Amino acid sequence: MTEEPPLVEVSNLRVRFHTPTRIVEAVRGLSFSLGREKLAIVGESGSGKSMTGRALLDLVPWPGEVQADAMRFKGQDLLGMSGEARRRLRGRHLSMVMQDPKFSLNPVMTVGRQIAEAYQLHHKAGRSEARDRALAMLEDVLIREPARVFDLYPHEVSGGMGQRVMIAMMLIGEPDVLIADEPTSALDVTVQAQILDILEKLVTDRGMGLIFISHDLPLVSAFCDRVIVMYGGRVMESLPARELAKGQHAYTRGLLGCLPDLDRPVRRLATLQRDDSWLQGG
Amino acid sequence: MGPGSIVVRNLNVRFGEAHVLKDVSFMVGSGESFGLVGESGSGKSTVLRVLSGLNRNWDGVVEVDGMPLPQRPGKAFFRSVQMVFQDPFASLHPRMTIDAILAEPLAIHGLDQPDRRIERALAEVGLDGGFRFRFPHQLSGGQRQRVAIARALILEPRILLLDEPTSALDVSIQAEVLNLLQDLKLRLGLTMLLVSHNLAVVGHMCSRVAVMKLGRIVEEADIESLRKRGGQDAYTQELIAASRRVALASA
Repeated sequence: MTEEPPLVEVSNLRVRFHTPTRIVEAVRGLSFSLGREKLAIVGESGSGKSMTGRALLDLVPWPGEVQADAMRFKGQDLLGMSGEARRRLRGRHLSMVMQDPKFSLNPVMTVGRQIAEAYQLHHKAGRSEARDRALAMLEDVLIREPARVFDLYPHEVSGGMGQRVMIAMMLIGEPDVLIADEPTSALDVTVQAQILDILEKLVTDRGMGLIFISHDLPLVSAFCDRVIVMYGGRVMESLPARELAKGQHAYTRGLLGCLPDLDRPVRRLATLQRDDSWLQGG
Repeated sequence: MGPGSIVVRNLNVRFGEAHVLKDVSFMVGSGESFGLVGESGSGKSTVLRVLSGLNRNWDGVVEVDGMPLPQRPGKAFFRSVQMVFQDPFASLHPRMTIDAILAEPLAIHGLDQPDRRIERALAEVGLDGGFRFRFPHQLSGGQRQRVAIARALILEPRILLLDEPTSALDVSIQAEVLNLLQDLKLRLGLTMLLVSHNLAVVGHMCSRVAVMKLGRIVEEADIESLRKRGGQDAYTQELIAASRRVALASA
């Protein structure tokens, strides 16, 4: 292997929201680096996992403020970069699949045109070429009748199909890094497995880096290489995905204990006991 | 069968050309918890919509709470069957306080002492009186789902229909809501019909399960036998395998 900088490097990332009454810290001091691998960020809602993805893309909504000691993409400094340069990276090199297709797709444009538009934005291509690429992409994400789905509006597709449309839209630019925010949470187990296969191929064949944001611990443990466990904007633990079940931190153990398991019936599920000391220090 | 039970025989539902339920039959005894699993589009939610009287276009034999389900059920029917929906963000009116949300079914059914009933319903789902005059947006997802359960229970139904009640919640909150449902079932002797795509959740809550695919029930089994011997049908086996593939090897 030749020496190349990691795809993404983040050191001491902080995301703050200044509200009239107080400062809300969404992410507090997160550091990680991403190679050509599958990195998972897990945690509950409000743990700051989605905000981390948005900070990388420069998509933190107002009045959020992003600070970091360093934030680099393939060695390029993201913090000093102009908004224009960040925008050029976004979609073409760094992409994010948002969580909810209902809110993230344009409701007055057919899904096919939205995918074709994403292609034309990054490639010099005519309309018919973009259409062909979009149709091929829909087929790649296992939509059975791409030609029919192409002309549907977002409200006419199911949640699972909408999620696949968004994945198609993000992958058509062939990004180097894909940030996927709960990409399979609305999908059936069988379709979920197929989507994970697609992502897996992109990582192994094309050398894409994947940041997989999820609250599904078993899924992440089976699919990813490394896991960062977040709580309240802070990293609780970082470990190889395969060893997630052996996580030592009380929070990791607590989350694992909450899960029902088909093969280990219990009369009552354990509930998570939160501890304020997890958020102290640093 | 007696009060609290559900009998479904050869239930068929068509929406225009689409034949979405094909000869669905199953029975749920009084006080039993029964699970329905299957992919989206397999017809699980349609079964619930028929049983709750929301879908009036069906044929076959359906008995709910010991009585044949009429095509246009009257008010009394809705007191015996209540439903909790998947998304607590969508199922509570955003401009009504929790108090107003809980008072509405009481007013519709002309029940007395609304004040006392609302307090009791909130206490039953583990929310203190401080929540009563808040709006849904001031509550967390788990608290909202508790309100949705309180709204279902306030009419003292015998049968509770649950449509993916925890799939929009974090796992820690899911555990709390599932425990709450178990407690309520034991205390109130409720019959529960739980629809979920998560076999582990159904396995935790229910004693029997029916697996649906493309509008048909392909298999009905005891959870215990699924656990030990796996399913008979190929699709059931696939679901079990999927559930095991992502189950954590515990430390």
